[in-house]
Amino acid sequence: MCLIIAAIITIVLCTLTGPAGFGLPSAGPGAADIVRSIRLPRVLAAFFVGASLAVAGAAMQALFRNPMADPYILGTSSGGALGASVAIVFLGGLFVPVFAWAGAVIAILIVWLIASRRGVISVETFLLTGIAVSFFFSAIVSFLIAIAGENVHQIIFWLMGGFWNASPSDAILSACILVPAGALLFFMGRDLNALSLGEETAAHLGIDAARARWSVLGGSTLLVAGAVSIAGSIGFVGLVTPHIVRMLLGPDNRVVIPACIFAGGILLVISDTLTRTFFSDLPVGIITAFIGAPFFIWLIYQRGNVT
Amino acid sequence: MSERKRINAENLHAGYDTKDIVRSISCSFGPGTFTGIIGPNGSGKTTLLRAFSRAIPSSGILELDGKDVRDYTPVELGMALGFVPQDEARPFAYTVMQVVLMARYARTSRFAALVSADYDRCHRALVETGIAHLADRSIRTLSGGEWQRVLIARALAQDTNALLLDEPTSHLDLAHQSDILMLLRNLAASGATIIGVFHDLNLAALYCDRLVMIKNGQMVADGTPEQVLTPEKIRNVYGADVVTSCHPATGRTFLMPVKTTNGNGSHLKSLNVLVISGGGSGAGLLHFLTGRGPSLSTGILATTDTDYLTAQALGIPCIPVLPFSQIPAHALEEQKAMLAQANRVILSAHPVGAGNLPVLLALRDVDPARIIIHLPEGREFASYDFTKGTATTAYQDLYAAGAACTSTYDGILRLLSPNLNGE
Repeated sequence: MCLIIAAIITIVLCTLTGPAGFGLPSAGPGAADIVRSIRLPRVLAAFFVGASLAVAGAAMQALFRNPMADPYILGTSSGGALGASVAIVFLGGLFVPVFAWAGAVIAILIVWLIASRRGVISVETFLLTGIAVSFFFSAIVSFLIAIAGENVHQIIFWLMGGFWNASPSDAILSACILVPAGALLFFMGRDLNALSLGEETAAHLGIDAARARWSVLGGSTLLVAGAVSIAGSIGFVGLVTPHIVRMLLGPDNRVVIPACIFAGGILLVISDTLTRTFFSDLPVGIITAFIGAPFFIWLIYQRGNVT
Repeated sequence: MSERKRINAENLHAGYDTKDIVRSISCSFGPGTFTGIIGPNGSGKTTLLRAFSRAIPSSGILELDGKDVRDYTPVELGMALGFVPQDEARPFAYTVMQVVLMARYARTSRFAALVSADYDRCHRALVETGIAHLADRSIRTLSGGEWQRVLIARALAQDTNALLLDEPTSHLDLAHQSDILMLLRNLAASGATIIGVFHDLNLAALYCDRLVMIKNGQMVADGTPEQVLTPEKIRNVYGADVVTSCHPATGRTFLMPVKTTNGNGSHLKSLNVLVISGGGSGAGLLHFLTGRGPSLSTGILATTDTDYLTAQALGIPCIPVLPFSQIPAHALEEQKAMLAQANRVILSAHPVGAGNLPVLLALRDVDPARIIIHLPEGREFASYDFTKGTATTAYQDLYAAGAACTSTYDGILRLLSPNLNGE
């Protein structure tokens, strides 16, 4: 409940904040336009993307029984990066979001195909295949960067992630993914709890482990691919938010998932507001990692171990 | 056997990848029974249990309450069958109560919250397993034994008629072992079907009504502990030698390991060794030599002597006589015959009084080259003498006549070895 209120306050305050100053639309001519057509979609897009990444991160961590898992672990970010790079290098920057989305989904599909070739699959196989595919795609992206010439900036900025071009349709699109996929994962909270103790345990507790696994993977993939196509690969939100939430509210995924929606959204909105207000619109990925990494180290230092 | 079968397996095969670990097992388990599955490491006990719980695929007939286990929906299975794994990873810091509450998922809609009845049931399971005081503790801070009891509590809270447990007491101390096993017995008494994998055969014998013994994935014995835990079966299946006796307090079968057969000293196989001892001096030696090759026998021993009990337990022939009485002539005759038959005679230095002096004196007729005297480090013959010098003289005469003397068991082994060339 507190999180919902905090989220609303954050959205409102951050919408009112920007390089043009803080204040209500009445501050001057054109201010209302700035708020309505630039800031609001950007803040909302940042919120939904942050929420998507955090929820997917929490779900992946439970599924893979590994608090170090992040939502990109199965190759979504490198797949998205490859798609975006292809669009930038060969199509002159057209359809970057579409290609990024397709790249992310294709990466997961490849991982899924490889990992499930031999009947019974373990999450460990999945994880390792994801890492291998990630590296492979990253190698191609590096190659594209090497031959990109003048487009190299565009690719690198995309890789770092940001909301410069966030349009109202981006905000609507990300919301359209977040609502159903977020609801799916929310109602799978107990499955995630059981899965986080092992698929066999989940099955013994009356959970359809195979179906739950595919639902979680499917929902997370949609969320992450959507986020990647809108904002590139923004690091740390998906990894760190679930940890913060678990530290505050405990590890029960029936609580963690909804809390992550708001916490992830808030974190990314604040990060994005910071960058566009104070850091001349650096890629928000820099800010999240710049703040996120030391914060994460501090958490580990504080707790001795992670939740 | 009860005519009703709760779990029924016929010609069951199960394994990993394409390799069958469990092969053509047929057995059924009725309500109100507590069965132990036993067998050596890698024999397929856990695999069988996981096949029962559908954690791994299996072929053949496998029914739970008359219905094919594969036809159960996951939720139905979660309400019909509980499973306690040996251990479980703990990547997240759930509280004990949160973990046990997961038992109630199968009985709750995913769109509904757990109700107070669920909490009550879980609390009862915590009380039953003796961990109610840990309810709010993080599972990551629990000891192995506490965590094992959490896993048992969770399975109890599932309220299933069938409960499968994989070595449920492996991490538990003595008191908690019996607490948990009594709990399981009581559950069985109230109609549940309990199947547990056990490593500790004595625990299994103590608490299970029935034991199923498997080896290489196949059932080799099925019956009461008395029927299954015979020294012959244990030797065949585990390759270990045991003596069985009766548990002094419960009257149930009780096993004691005596040795492990190995190839060591097999070159002593043709050797016939007679051990002359008394007052417990030979017990350790008899055990030491058992399984190292030579065929053993002992001489005259009083039936109250520790050496006599050891010889009995190890199945070593001896000449029993009544304690505190004169050794009868026929016993001495018998021993004389045995002395003549033995390739080697080991005289384990032992207290000699007027009563057993004839035993020692009988050795004067034996070729001293065949005698090995075992005299522990730091002892003298005189310290065993309760005959005012006669025994000491007898010991010393044997030594002087050429009997070998050593203070260690290994020394005895060495002295036994070259004998092969001489015979």
